[in-house]
Amino acid sequence: MTERTGFRASFARECRFIARSPWDLAVVTWIPLLLCGMIAWQLSGGVIRELPVLLVAQDESAISRDLAIRIEAAPGLRLAGTVPDLASAQQLIRSHRAHAALLVPRETAERTLQGQAPVTLYFNASYPAAAAAIQREFGAVIDAANARQATDRIAPVLPQGSVRPAPVRAVIAIAWNAPASQEFQLVSLLHPALLHLIFMLAVVSAFGRELRDGSIGPWAPNLAGLAGKAAPYLAVFTGWAMLAIFWLAGVRGWHFAGSPLVLLTGYAMMYLAYLGVTLLMVGGTRTLSQSLSMTGLYAGASFAFAGAIFPLEQASAFARIWGNALPYTHFARLLARTWVAPGSGTALAGPILAMLAIALVTAIPGTLLYLRAARDPGSWGRR
Amino acid sequence: MWAAFQALFAAIRADRAAALLLLMSPVIYAGFYPSAYTDEVVSRAPVVVVDHDRTAASRNLIIKVSGAQQAEIVAYLPAAAEAENWMADGRAVAALIIPRGFGEEIARGTAGTVLLTGHGGYLLRASSALGGIGVALGQTGRDAAREQARAAGPPAPPALMLIPRPLFNTREGYGAAVFPGVAFVIIHQSLLLGLALLAGTAREQMGRGLRLTGAQLAGIALAAGVIGMLEVGWFVGMVFWWHDYPRAAAPLLDVVMGAILFVAATVAAALALASLFKTRERPLQLLLAVSLPLFFLAGLSWPAEATPTLLVIAARLFPTSSGLEMMVGLNQMGGSLKDYWPAALNLGLLTLLFGTVATWRWVSGKDVPPAS
Repeated sequence: MTERTGFRASFARECRFIARSPWDLAVVTWIPLLLCGMIAWQLSGGVIRELPVLLVAQDESAISRDLAIRIEAAPGLRLAGTVPDLASAQQLIRSHRAHAALLVPRETAERTLQGQAPVTLYFNASYPAAAAAIQREFGAVIDAANARQATDRIAPVLPQGSVRPAPVRAVIAIAWNAPASQEFQLVSLLHPALLHLIFMLAVVSAFGRELRDGSIGPWAPNLAGLAGKAAPYLAVFTGWAMLAIFWLAGVRGWHFAGSPLVLLTGYAMMYLAYLGVTLLMVGGTRTLSQSLSMTGLYAGASFAFAGAIFPLEQASAFARIWGNALPYTHFARLLARTWVAPGSGTALAGPILAMLAIALVTAIPGTLLYLRAARDPGSWGRR
Repeated sequence: MWAAFQALFAAIRADRAAALLLLMSPVIYAGFYPSAYTDEVVSRAPVVVVDHDRTAASRNLIIKVSGAQQAEIVAYLPAAAEAENWMADGRAVAALIIPRGFGEEIARGTAGTVLLTGHGGYLLRASSALGGIGVALGQTGRDAAREQARAAGPPAPPALMLIPRPLFNTREGYGAAVFPGVAFVIIHQSLLLGLALLAGTAREQMGRGLRLTGAQLAGIALAAGVIGMLEVGWFVGMVFWWHDYPRAAAPLLDVVMGAILFVAATVAAALALASLFKTRERPLQLLLAVSLPLFFLAGLSWPAEATPTLLVIAARLFPTSSGLEMMVGLNQMGGSLKDYWPAALNLGLLTLLFGTVATWRWVSGKDVPPAS
């Protein structure tokens, strides 16, 4: 058998198998579609809107009424009610009927004339995404209320010229993601997080199954045969990657700052690296169930360890080493540098080479171990 | 029933993969997962500075920024375009650009303006760095206000001052917000995968038509429930305490009742789903990847208010959605069970629904030899 037919025959053999096995077909078709689709749908709102908040108005003045109107007008907030005291506000926050409460204490109206009358924002920090949006929104509400107070109420009673803008002002912009959209940040990262895990589950099953069922005997793979078996999965999951990019960049309209081709190269490299790890796990354990459990541990928590949301540099030494051993971590870096922002050549080469290194370091011993298992009938059939 | 109860534990003892999933994985994940978030809050996010002004005022601002704990100045660059390159290459998450004329504006009594840019791909780090720079700006502003006051008299301070006060997760830790929820996804997956793996194995060994008596199914459910309660106890009693995550002493009875409801719904769902599998390894291949969507559907990292209504309703079919809401509320926010009665009711109904499905799928009515 020549190398070429080895590849082709294995490719065709794997495609026939997938087509006849509904669950193995599911892993490459409707399961990635369902899981990626669910995430895309859930975050399709883009920015967080209409979070229910409370007003604790101990000061029944025009200021409280002005703040109530401003809260209603803020796009991210919805005034869920006005309560008399903090205890009842906390109770409503506890039972998830509101995310935050703004306390306007007694005599606030009088204190505004001296300036810096404190109003306190109590927010549920156990729900961080909502908490961040609420702090941002209330900052804007108070700024607007202050501007109004300055011109309407305070300016007429104070010496001329003493009401003036703050001496230092900042214009804040979020580069490459102007509305600070969580949809763009999270979905662009969650899709590859799901895809690499499902890809690995699919190829672990494909390679592990042959040893479990002893079907590796008649198949008798060589190097080209292994490549032919993996190729359908690489092709299908590259297709899912293209669809995921198309969804965010094409349908949802999130700007692609760099090169989609570089990102696709990154996807391919990431899949190759997980394929290498797969061969190492299956060749090393020669047991499908153990390899799948290890996949859960290795590829199941990638999102936490990739440093995409929380910086990896600040995590423990173990987490830094573990994170850098995950191809997804390098993929997430590449994504920030070629999708979100237009990074330079060297900045792009780093993550791609890192994934290539993981692929080589795992695939070489993995292939040797797997081919050795293929020639050792005594090791087949393990559960 | 008692025989089936013991049979499940015997099956776990005899099956390394099942023992790994049901008994070992909560231990492994408890040490493994939180290590990604050991520092809890973002500090020293890399920031670049472009100073076109080069006056005493701009230097004063830069000194204040370099003192901010959330930001660390990694480079001083000559042009804004270069700052953008640094961010695009991932070497900085925010940039402070001080335009020419900044110091002069302040001296003249008008507002000196600076440009702050955050990296849109690293929102948490960028906003943390910008927050730190904002504090430095405030300090510079006070200094500048004193300077201005010599010429123009004291300024009127803003009428209102907003004081943010975090509730429940008072240090606003990142791991402290994420892991108390993730723990219940881990428990859910441990029970689901472990029971489905055992069911698939039993089917392989005892035939596809394997059926149980009602008492046997109840015994297995009870044994699985005991494992689930041990897992909850491990996370709530040990792991949260070890990592010093917020624990708001809800009445113990409420926590136990809540845990029973969550574990009951999870075991019922696991047994119902387990009845679909005829191959030992299949559930791992099909169900390992659902953890991430389950976590997001539970609303900790993306609020239900921003989720499409239809999806919020569909999410109520998974024990994790109401389970996380209730257990985070009881454990972290110090609510009582009656604060979460809709979630508790939801879990009760799911137990009934999945329990009925599991009974319909597993129980034949006639007596059969004990499973596994």
